[in-house]
Amino acid sequence: MSRSVWKGPFVDSYVLKKAEASRESGRNEVIKIWSRRSTILPQFVGLTFGVYNGHKHIPVNVSEEMIGQKFGEYSPTRTYYGHAADKKAKRK
Amino acid sequence: MSERIPVGAIAGAYGVRGELRVKSYCARPEDIETYSPLSSEDGTDSYTLAILRPIKNGFAARITSVATKEEADALKGTVLFAQRDQLPSLPDDEFYHADLIGLEVYDTGGALLGRVKTVQNHGADDLLEVQLAGTSATVFLPFTKAAVPTVDLTAGRIVADPPLGILPEDP
Repeated sequence: MSRSVWKGPFVDSYVLKKAEASRESGRNEVIKIWSRRSTILPQFVGLTFGVYNGHKHIPVNVSEEMIGQKFGEYSPTRTYYGHAADKKAKRK
Repeated sequence: MSERIPVGAIAGAYGVRGELRVKSYCARPEDIETYSPLSSEDGTDSYTLAILRPIKNGFAARITSVATKEEADALKGTVLFAQRDQLPSLPDDEFYHADLIGLEVYDTGGALLGRVKTVQNHGADDLLEVQLAGTSATVFLPFTKAAVPTVDLTAGRIVADPPLGILPEDP
């Protein structure tokens, strides 16, 4: 069963506080969080969170398409390297 | 920058008519055919590959020099390499993972931070996994213009300006 709409999206309160503090300070920093269960809200767009994967904090730069998903989706807990082959990376 | 790049492997024979089961490492798996002729790891053998059809976990393919199942079985486990210059050139700010891996990473002050170990993408931005100098520890560096202002492939170096909290000594 999905979450009732009247409750609004779930976010751990410390994540909200840290995000607000970071936005006010205007510093270029990674906001370290352990809350993989928190929903990504519109006010997080543009911020970079370090989402804990049980081992280290993975930087996640929040963009508009990520709103409504959970932080944990962007910080996998298992390592898979694969092969480089012809794969490309784009510098944004 | 490595001259030859592994793009796939031969997983064994497929059927009894000399066809092979080929596994592709490419971003678009069917692109392995476009890099043909491929070579073996030591560079002594060359294989002209033609994909016949997709099968589970790869492709059924034919190599011109292989006619029987026994010859196909003998190639099981062979890693297929393409020449680096066979890859198409990319626009600015796009890089092949193979080119980035192994580059030295310096901070804006000129101090060595480490070396690029892998390039990852977990659904958000691309990330450079940097192995820190003198340790086995790694950190993830967002592959953005702000965090990585300079990528110099000819000099084999990257200049990074990591945001606060990326490096272990950061608060």
